[in-house]
Amino acid sequence: MTWTQLAVTALWGGLVALERRAFLQAMLSRPLVAATVEGLLLGDVASGLYVGMVFELFFLGGASLGGAHPDHDTLPAVAGAAMAAGMGLASGVESTPAMWALSILICAPFGRAGLWLEHRLDRRARKYFGRAVTATDSGNLDKAARQNLRAMWPQFVFYGLLCAAAAAAGPSLHALAKGFPPSLLRGLTWAYPAMGVAAGAIAVAGSHAPKRHALALAGAALTLVAALVTGGLS
Amino acid sequence: MSALPLRTVLRVAWRSLFIQAGYSPDAMQTLGLLYALAPAWRHLYDTDEARNAAVRRHLSTFNTHPYTAAALVGGILHYELKLARGEATVEDIARFKSTLMGPLAALGDGFFWLSLRPATGAVGVALVPVLGVWAPVVFLFLYNVVHFVARAWLFAVGLRSGAALVTRVKSLRVPTWSDRLRSISALTAAGTGAWLTVRFGAALHGAASEALDAATDVPEPTSARAVLGAAMACLVLGALGVALVERKVQPLAVLYGAAALAVVLGVLW
Repeated sequence: MTWTQLAVTALWGGLVALERRAFLQAMLSRPLVAATVEGLLLGDVASGLYVGMVFELFFLGGASLGGAHPDHDTLPAVAGAAMAAGMGLASGVESTPAMWALSILICAPFGRAGLWLEHRLDRRARKYFGRAVTATDSGNLDKAARQNLRAMWPQFVFYGLLCAAAAAAGPSLHALAKGFPPSLLRGLTWAYPAMGVAAGAIAVAGSHAPKRHALALAGAALTLVAALVTGGLS
Repeated sequence: MSALPLRTVLRVAWRSLFIQAGYSPDAMQTLGLLYALAPAWRHLYDTDEARNAAVRRHLSTFNTHPYTAAALVGGILHYELKLARGEATVEDIARFKSTLMGPLAALGDGFFWLSLRPATGAVGVALVPVLGVWAPVVFLFLYNVVHFVARAWLFAVGLRSGAALVTRVKSLRVPTWSDRLRSISALTAAGTGAWLTVRFGAALHGAASEALDAATDVPEPTSARAVLGAAMACLVLGALGVALVERKVQPLAVLYGAAALAVVLGVLW
């Protein structure tokens, strides 16, 4: 993992953290997109795509409703993709399902941690509103308006640094995991599709569709029948 | 005061994309609203006192869905223009904001956050087996066609009609579309979970899964028996997952539970 790769990860992690809530919200920060781009940036698309898939399903039902915010979906996705790609880079080959599973297991709680950080930064943003009121009192309306943008930089810095730290941890995690017994590695390899199914189930439950159970059964059954007919889906 | 210059209107619309940049628990999107409206004041009011009074009108807490905020920002401009011409009162502006903030937030949350995003996200994920790295691009396209058209339309309708935008929005029958989109989300999410099981679960039986770096090329599923085994595991695990989440078990616990089960099976196999 080079310094350039860490810097690129920090930059992308910070940008998508801003895009997620502060600006635009065109879904560049969704796990599927943010993690895939992170994988592309580190030269391991598979890790980004497959880590992003699971996190996309896992966070599909989360929504910011009124003043209540859901877990941070972007941080675990970018951090997980960066960590898996870091492991892949350290191994000298492309990342594997065991690496994706390990990264997802480590980075999934970052969603809660990211939300905690978001709350802290929101509370910090109170001071910018205070400054806007003071600026209005003194007749400086341009300064009052500008305070809106000031609140963006801490988000960019903190989330970017966390993503870079996850990328930096990838090679160390690879060295650690190489010492795992084969049976544990087999279990981790199986854990990837198991978490995919669990994430799909979480998405179905979170969809709140009127006939979600029947629809989910139909979706799964159609895929499985197709797999049986074709002898596996590529 | 005549209509605002097009450049100013476009600047306000652009700035409304930053509506949540300065979000805080008390003021919520108030800073974002001040930032969005800022370019309009010099065109609307001739004196510093009038501009200052206009900014003060909008220091009260503002919070709505970030996309439907476009309708409110456009509507506020509509009433500020009328106020500058003497055709509306300060109370009209306050009433417009306070009456529509909540309903537009509920509409945006229900349609964009709980319907369109899950549906397009699930479709995007489901397209990965077919399109690979282009699947996220398709997701972005599907979502943003609706998103940007809606934002631009809401801003334009708010600017043109003020509170009459309610009638226009109602004619869109948003709740009907929401139900359809949620169904797509449930169908495709389950299908993707099943695909992951078959693609990676049925394929990884042998020695390839017992070395961290060995499975460089994920092997294809080979036997119908392996696919059938993975299918059964998928259906049981999926049904259990849905049941647990609907009984308020934390999603993180369900995710870790599934991983733990797989690891234990892998160790004991």
